[in-house]
Amino acid sequence: MSSAEDNAMTDQIAKTLTEATGLLHSPQRVVPLIQKLVSDKLRITFEQRHLYSYARTNRASEDTLNSLLHWILDAQRPDGGIAAYYSLLTGYSPSYPEVTGYIVPTLYDFARVSRDDGAIDAAERAIRWLLSLQMTTGGFPGGFHGGAVREALPSVFNTGQILQGLVRAQAETNRPEVQHAAVAAGDWLVKIQQANGSWSGAATYQNAAHTYYTMVAWALAELSERVADRRYALAAEKNLDWGLSHFKPSGWIDGINLRGHPNYLHFTAYVLQGVLECAILRRRDDAVEAVAKSAWVLLRKFETNKFLAGAYEPDFKNGQRFTCLTGNAQMSCVWFRLFEVTDDLRYLNAALKMNEMLKALIPVRGRRGISGGVSGSYPIWGCYQPLRYISWGNKFLADALLLEQRLTRSFVVNTFEALPCAS
Amino acid sequence: MRIVVLCSSVYSETACAMAVRMAELGHTPVGAVAISTLDRGTLLRKLGQRGARDVIRYARAKLIPHRGNGRVQVSNPYLQPLLKHGEGIFHSLREVAAFYGFPIAVCNDQNTPDSIAQLKEWTPDLIAFTGGSILRRKLLDVPRLGVLNVHLGLLPEVRGMSTPEWSLLKYVPVGVTIHYVDAGIDTGPILQRSEFPDTAQCESLSDLRNRLIAFGVEKAGEVVAGLDRGTISATPQSGKDEDHQFFVMHEWLQAQAASALPTAAGRRSRGQ
Repeated sequence: MSSAEDNAMTDQIAKTLTEATGLLHSPQRVVPLIQKLVSDKLRITFEQRHLYSYARTNRASEDTLNSLLHWILDAQRPDGGIAAYYSLLTGYSPSYPEVTGYIVPTLYDFARVSRDDGAIDAAERAIRWLLSLQMTTGGFPGGFHGGAVREALPSVFNTGQILQGLVRAQAETNRPEVQHAAVAAGDWLVKIQQANGSWSGAATYQNAAHTYYTMVAWALAELSERVADRRYALAAEKNLDWGLSHFKPSGWIDGINLRGHPNYLHFTAYVLQGVLECAILRRRDDAVEAVAKSAWVLLRKFETNKFLAGAYEPDFKNGQRFTCLTGNAQMSCVWFRLFEVTDDLRYLNAALKMNEMLKALIPVRGRRGISGGVSGSYPIWGCYQPLRYISWGNKFLADALLLEQRLTRSFVVNTFEALPCAS
Repeated sequence: MRIVVLCSSVYSETACAMAVRMAELGHTPVGAVAISTLDRGTLLRKLGQRGARDVIRYARAKLIPHRGNGRVQVSNPYLQPLLKHGEGIFHSLREVAAFYGFPIAVCNDQNTPDSIAQLKEWTPDLIAFTGGSILRRKLLDVPRLGVLNVHLGLLPEVRGMSTPEWSLLKYVPVGVTIHYVDAGIDTGPILQRSEFPDTAQCESLSDLRNRLIAFGVEKAGEVVAGLDRGTISATPQSGKDEDHQFFVMHEWLQAQAASALPTAAGRRSRGQ
């Protein structure tokens, strides 16, 4: 094990121990913790993977969507930011700028279909808080609000994710200060982009370039459309090309590059979402094809095994036994969008089944922070964000259910006609 | 022609009909291998595919045969002509086997060494697969000609699961393909492709499936007769890529497929 991996593991253990002390401060959390541990243990003990084909609807998507959004509204802190997670050990985390930013589009989408003004109010409070955090360079800080000084450096990834929220808020409200903030963030991202299209250095996680930063490229492509400035589109495509150079013939994507962590599905799905959305905006069929290839590998795994592993080794081998729920929800979004651009119904079918699986894993009862929450892992003690309900899990599952609503409502079937065979 | 029937259960109506059809053509099976009715894996798979209510209904229909108009009914009415036997109906492969005089071996997996040894003992020219395990290479190598499968879709366009439904949604003609099984999923050499002429008469997806199964048994008979006469040969499939593989269809899409039927039922689903 390298010293960097050693340090990462030590950090992880220290973090877990610190979290565990949370129970000493709030012993009332012991009961829900034990309940969740026992229920997941029972479920995985008696669950037969091949018993569930997830082809039937057991819970209405609208009900789950409402639960997910109420969880997010509950997680909004008094400052307007949204907590990163609710821990079964320590309760809500402080406000987290990155997540707060990219939850904003979800809040507006939800408000549109449900006519819920509460979601719009929440989005506007979130944006006000984010504007107060922007640095003079245009970037946004990494880490939690009020975190340690070393975390308060500008972060490329967080700025990109927040930019998504700013662009959407500008489209919804047309407020000049929001546009100004979005342009400043975009300018900073363009300024510090490397010649090869990646981002690396002090403003990146572990000072390294990561392919999942294609999510930043997506945000820049959106900004370009919104403010009609090609500079952002060029930067987005530069990063898109750099990202595409890491796609392997097996569908695997190199360059996620997180030292001390396995290749969580969440990050693979980030690359796919970033590349796909950027490709759609920039009309890049080559990039759509690359995403379709990787997404198809995962679709086959899901259809065959009835779940996607929480982490994979290169070439999608040796999947770990836990499931990363947010990664699953992201893949549902990717499949829905691929259906939209390719008309291939198998993507729609897989996404509908994935949503069924995920809906069944959302607690419908329990205290605030638990009911309607999406856990990091299933079972809850899996490697990815153990013992936590994470706000970005709620965001991505809500996005997947909103896509389901939109695409199933616009679906048109023509009557069968005896057409000649293609072959 | 020495034929062995493979089936998922001795209560499989399709297997019964297939055995009767072969016998009618003068090729009485030399044996059959059925998976145990109480096999845990099969039960769980059926529960997952059909849901508890349908499985209980199916089990009840098998154990307590329904009588309509004073006559015993079968689940798939389109197989009834083949299953009729004097005044009665064949309810299980055991009854068919007793009538035509061929043995049945029961196992938990058709690929086990015991099953394969039994199959080798029967020295089949052909194995007619009507359901059961995913067949492994060792079993596929047993028959002289191959393992025959009736696929409820036209190959190579629609491989995999829920194929009649996918055919409707993909605007591919509904039909059946008789093919040899190979190591892939529905990728083996094709013996006969037949478009189904009566889709317009189908009242529902289950009605379509039932009609297709009966149509497939009929076509399998034609293929066996053709193989016996040497007038049919297998053609390798083109494009064995994954582009044509389909998976179990979600119920929402199934409802859309039902609405694609050109019948009154389809019009109701489309709200016309």
